[in-house]
Amino acid sequence: MIAALLLLPGIAHTSTKTVLSKPHRAILLGTVFVLMLVPFGAMPVAAYVRGVTGDLSITTLVLLCCALMKQWCDCVTAEGKQRRALLMMIALFALALYPMALGIGGYDPYRLGYGDPLFIFVLLLLVLFAWFLKFPLVVLCIALATLAWATGWYESTNVWDYLIDPFVSVYALAVITIRGAKNYIKFQPNRSC
Amino acid sequence: MIDQMIYQSGVRHTLVLCLILIAFGAAFYKVAHHPSTATFQLPASYQHDGELKTGTLPTSDASPGFSTHFVSTQQNISTHAASLVELSDGRIRAFWFAGSREGAEDVEIRSAVFDPAKNLWGPEQSIANREDTQRPLLRYVKKLGNPVAQRGPDGTLWLYYVTVSLGGWAGSSITVITSSNDGATWSPARRLITSPFINISTLIKGTPFLYSDGTMGLPVYHEFIGKFGELLRINSNGEIIDKQRLSSGKSTLQPVMLIKSPQQALVLMRRSGSSPKRVIATATDDAGQHWSAPAKTTLANPDAAISGVALPGGRILVVLNNIEDGRDALSLVVSADGGATWKTVYQLEDQRGQPIEVAHYLQAAGESAKATDASITDASGYAKSAQRSKCESRICAFEFSYPYLIQARNGDFHLVYTWNRSFIKHVRFTNAWLDQRMKNNSDAQLH
Repeated sequence: MIAALLLLPGIAHTSTKTVLSKPHRAILLGTVFVLMLVPFGAMPVAAYVRGVTGDLSITTLVLLCCALMKQWCDCVTAEGKQRRALLMMIALFALALYPMALGIGGYDPYRLGYGDPLFIFVLLLLVLFAWFLKFPLVVLCIALATLAWATGWYESTNVWDYLIDPFVSVYALAVITIRGAKNYIKFQPNRSC
Repeated sequence: MIDQMIYQSGVRHTLVLCLILIAFGAAFYKVAHHPSTATFQLPASYQHDGELKTGTLPTSDASPGFSTHFVSTQQNISTHAASLVELSDGRIRAFWFAGSREGAEDVEIRSAVFDPAKNLWGPEQSIANREDTQRPLLRYVKKLGNPVAQRGPDGTLWLYYVTVSLGGWAGSSITVITSSNDGATWSPARRLITSPFINISTLIKGTPFLYSDGTMGLPVYHEFIGKFGELLRINSNGEIIDKQRLSSGKSTLQPVMLIKSPQQALVLMRRSGSSPKRVIATATDDAGQHWSAPAKTTLANPDAAISGVALPGGRILVVLNNIEDGRDALSLVVSADGGATWKTVYQLEDQRGQPIEVAHYLQAAGESAKATDASITDASGYAKSAQRSKCESRICAFEFSYPYLIQARNGDFHLVYTWNRSFIKHVRFTNAWLDQRMKNNSDAQLH
């Protein structure tokens, strides 16, 4: 439910940051947040959002919080090499999970998320590697997701649901694809007519 | 200043390492306490040393060997997808969904209880509706469907049912409520998360089962991009602890689990799509760690649900629309060789080849209703209810579908199925009746 409450304000904030000033964005953000709690029919608006999106992954929540807090606090950054590494990790996770989990082939990687020790060990190696490279954002996403799974934060008992969700996966794949296309165009040799 | 920044950076780096240690310490603690693999638990009705376990449960000595009833009584509504569970005192509780039409907002989960000693069904009642479901879930629910019940090892009733928030049945998720008093009252609804893609497209039909360690098995299926069967393993807290894929591709639905021994099981699945129009089977010899490649059986299947029970000695009893098209015939078939060959032992319903114009449909449906329960006085009301669901313009169709078969602890079999999308019909038969039918049909043609 918290994730649903943050989603629309996060979108509102990100889409208006070049149009509205900081105080106006703060007012918009607060207004959208309150509106999410207003009953619409039998349920608050956030419940309708949650009915469609389900609970967002911890990674999405971390990125949303970074986006919301960025204008008011330099304590967390999601820029540069670290952001690229995080998006690449999300994209690779998504490509490894969704096609097979939705039925392509007979193997289901989603099953690993119910407590396969080897899978948790691989995540540990990944997070230690990110820590060594001083990518705190990547570490935060994986470590907080794992901690949330271990403590049963959401209804889900599968650590995949804490690591990624379809929304952040689409976002990561889109950013990587667009950046890749731009780089490809940029480095094309000039053609003579 | 620079020294201070380096110091703060170092502190932050150390704090992040502490977070890693805490998070993964908790994760490995959880993994260490994860239940290990378990074997299947044989159903309580299994014979031991050749003797049926009857105990103090209601026996069927004074009851007819074969009897039929209507479970639901509301007329002029759409009714479908019934399931059964045996209660602690031997009574049988049925669940189904009903409303103005399948998928409507007014559809609710309804239930009634059968008393075997009196051979009668009690009044039906509403168990769950859309509003009661979405409130504890804190998420919008558009429609309900397909209830499936299970009795946990501690006697708790678990009722799983399908809910949809967005789109059609392909967008389904599983919701569960529990009862510690055989269904008199129920807990608030909670959601099972079974899929990573916004938790859509997990549905239920097949009878749940138990593992030897008390965890519960629930056959489920996906119907989104792919159509395939899976098994969920659920602990006593209602948490999913494992998931196994039974098939892949786009052609199999609604797995039915038939446990032969603690290590062996056969799963039969509904065929979806074009050919082959046959029930699909897969099997395991190691308590579900590995499953054979799905293969077609000799049983015909018109893309319709099936149900069955495994009996001691290798016999398997299945109820299905044993035809390639339509659902206007329903058969009871048995295999004496673990599923290799099948014989029809009884034709439960057969309206194949009947003219389907309205007048004849009303007459035939009325006769069918009266044959089901001789005590009903309003057979024409039953027929008109069927007409409401199954007639368009002047054309009507019979439907006998979605069977759900269980064997009670006293050995009696109970079957429910949808009768023309307007009522739930119950059939009860004894082992003696079944044995007699099998003897009578010993020369019946093998499938």
